[in-house]
Amino acid sequence: MAELNGEKYLADVEIAWCPGCGNFAIRKSLARALAQVDLPPHKVVLVTGIGQAAKIAHYVNLNGFNGLHGRTIAAAAGVKLARPDLTVIAESGDGDLYGEGGNHLVHNIRRNVDLTVIAHDNRVYGLTKGQASPTAPRGYRTRAQPAGSPSAPLNPLALAVAVGAPFVAQAFSGEIERTADLIAQGIRHKGFALVNVLHPCPSWNRVQTFAWYRERLVHLEERGHDPTDRAAAFAVAIGSGEEIPIGVVYRTERPTFADGHPVLAGDPVGLRPLPSPEDVRPILEGFL
Amino acid sequence: MSTVVRIAGSAGQGVQTLGDILARSVFRSGLYLHGEMSYHSRIRGGENTFTLRIGESPVLATEAQADLLVALNEEMLVVHRPAVREGGVVFTDEEVGEPGHGAVRLPAGRLARDELKLPIAAGVILLGAAARFLGLTPEVVRAEIRAAFGEKAEPNVRAVDLGYAHGPAGTPRLPAPRFAPGDRMLLTGGQAVGAGAIAAGCRFVASYPMTPGTAVFEFIAQHAAQHGIVVEQAEDEIAAINMALGASYAGARALVTTSGGGFALMVEGLSLARMIETPVVIHLGQRPGPATGLPTRTGQENLLFALHAGHGEFPRYIVAPTDPADAFYLTMKAFEVAEKYQVPAFVLTDQFLVDSYAVVSALSPTRVPVEEHLVPVEELDRLGRYERFAVTRSGISPRALPGVSEKLVLVDSDEHDPYGRITEDLGVRRAMVEKRLRKADGMREEISPPEIYPAGSLRGKRVLLGWGSTYGAIREATERLGEGYAHVHLRELWPLRTEELRRVWGEAEEVILVEETATGQLGRLVGGETGLRPHRFVPRYDGRPFTAEDILGALR
Repeated sequence: MAELNGEKYLADVEIAWCPGCGNFAIRKSLARALAQVDLPPHKVVLVTGIGQAAKIAHYVNLNGFNGLHGRTIAAAAGVKLARPDLTVIAESGDGDLYGEGGNHLVHNIRRNVDLTVIAHDNRVYGLTKGQASPTAPRGYRTRAQPAGSPSAPLNPLALAVAVGAPFVAQAFSGEIERTADLIAQGIRHKGFALVNVLHPCPSWNRVQTFAWYRERLVHLEERGHDPTDRAAAFAVAIGSGEEIPIGVVYRTERPTFADGHPVLAGDPVGLRPLPSPEDVRPILEGFL
Repeated sequence: MSTVVRIAGSAGQGVQTLGDILARSVFRSGLYLHGEMSYHSRIRGGENTFTLRIGESPVLATEAQADLLVALNEEMLVVHRPAVREGGVVFTDEEVGEPGHGAVRLPAGRLARDELKLPIAAGVILLGAAARFLGLTPEVVRAEIRAAFGEKAEPNVRAVDLGYAHGPAGTPRLPAPRFAPGDRMLLTGGQAVGAGAIAAGCRFVASYPMTPGTAVFEFIAQHAAQHGIVVEQAEDEIAAINMALGASYAGARALVTTSGGGFALMVEGLSLARMIETPVVIHLGQRPGPATGLPTRTGQENLLFALHAGHGEFPRYIVAPTDPADAFYLTMKAFEVAEKYQVPAFVLTDQFLVDSYAVVSALSPTRVPVEEHLVPVEELDRLGRYERFAVTRSGISPRALPGVSEKLVLVDSDEHDPYGRITEDLGVRRAMVEKRLRKADGMREEISPPEIYPAGSLRGKRVLLGWGSTYGAIREATERLGEGYAHVHLRELWPLRTEELRRVWGEAEEVILVEETATGQLGRLVGGETGLRPHRFVPRYDGRPFTAEDILGALR
């Protein structure tokens, strides 16, 4: 049982998340997903950004790169390009991945680097105490947006499908098994995989509570959704506004960054030996 | 003594190509040269010049006055003619300018159209005429034309021959060869930085194109497949440095190349490099600012920016090469210092150095040893617990890569404990700050002292103090000033070696800072560390590189 729960991936350290935070469940789901794909911890790099979700790098037993706010995916892409032999997971909050890091999200979907991006989407900035996040609904009131957020929320699923992400899924943190399964599918999928994990923020978000989500969740598998149908995926991603889709929204095969790449096809560049002086002589002879 | 040839035309008229061919032909003839490309920030039109100085000994600066001007259009004839020395010659097309201008007017356009059916070859005909005038053999020029044009070479070879047939022979002709083939190399500073990076084992480059950093990016991209280097054009400079840090963490020696505005975006990533003690080399090709400034011009305005960029305190390493040979070796050293001390290292060049050709002694890739600075895997396997940020006397912690052993590697942008876990323990914080700062002591020992010319005592001399690519202009000025003057030059700028500078100030009659800034940044840097200030300052900040004449003019 311990094996299936993935306890070896979990660090026995004090955790500084608020009681009741969805992050706890996502941490469990990550460990179970890794147990499913059966990867040794030292072959996985967890790249995180800044925010409460990003602290997860410290709460697991994996290689970790806890970098800068918004730069999670950029750093993760660098790790993967240097070391295609490692499984690279980028994990952070909606502010990090969709706000400050929006540009890197879009362009790494274009690149289609083989990454699994797990977004902790609670529609609120937790660490900086409750401001609206890019996924907060229009009109959402906070101390920083006292008249309500004037902007429409970003739809990460529709964005990812539109830009061409080959694997797009949405999960709910309260469903640990299902979330683990979606993360595992994302890891197995070759190319850029986005798993948007909705989770309540009991400290700040008083609108999207557990009960609020439970009333609206719809499981795509049960609906007979065909995730290989892009038009259907768009329809699901855009949604009715009433229902919240859970499951694989879109799945396709697309050439990855590494496919056919003249360098990435060989040994990982991060493990190649240093060049000998002889190696550089052809270049120098070009200057003669 | 040098002979100066200037080719001037509009963007799109092939000035760079003609300059390259002429420079290579002179190089093949065994002569020293310096070739400077100067251009407006335009794709078409504007003003492009290639200034070729040919010398009997190494040339590392440019010159404003020319002995031979090849003007490819009317406007260039008008603009550049005043800079032709008395007794100098101007070559232009017979359809350009008024007869009576006194220029040698050749039927280049007509021949190109009628004989070659290739109007663009008019410039090559003028090039042929210039080559004959200089006394270059047609064989040498033809070979360079073939190398440059490949399959399209034949009409251009004929164009060169037409230039030889129609142009006058010049007097005096070029000197006899000064070096044998194979003894010297011809390359630009940008090529040298790229080659140095490859020689040092660079395996990852991410950059957003920005003049003049792009030259390095493109050079490495051209060689990436053969040398096993991942080169990626990032979506922005923020991505570039964060990708580079991810790659470096994972084991790839990493480079970013940019200019001031792009580096401004990288500054947060620079601080991350410092906190996670992950090496990265930043090639910062300077151009005048602030903001977009003069995009294609040169300057030395980013010294203090490179030194002070980033929040928090932590050592860094900064080199500023003087010429392409120096750029090759110092780029290699920047990688080595970055890896050994796990710090960010800067190669601080400028547009002038990046885009200029110079003839240098044949480069030797063995001069800077390239060594592994990682913990061997066998050693990792023997360790009980691996601490990426173990506190050591040198400040250098054992660096391991993820995935090569069962030991996990954790790095964090927050303050962290030796294992890498986030901490707010104030004692651990102090220990980490001190550990990181201790690296500067070791790095300072690796810095070579400033070059002093002529060697020996500076007593009673006026010292021209400079750094980076102004080396050639300052040296030339110092030689011409003669007795009573000396040249002190810094090529490794940080950590600063203050003892030699105290000697300079102690012995010299006067210290004169020569720098392409308006405020004298090296003076402020040295002043901040030692309290010593230059007595005089010779500035240049119009975006053009220093010439010896500029410095002599300011001192006279």
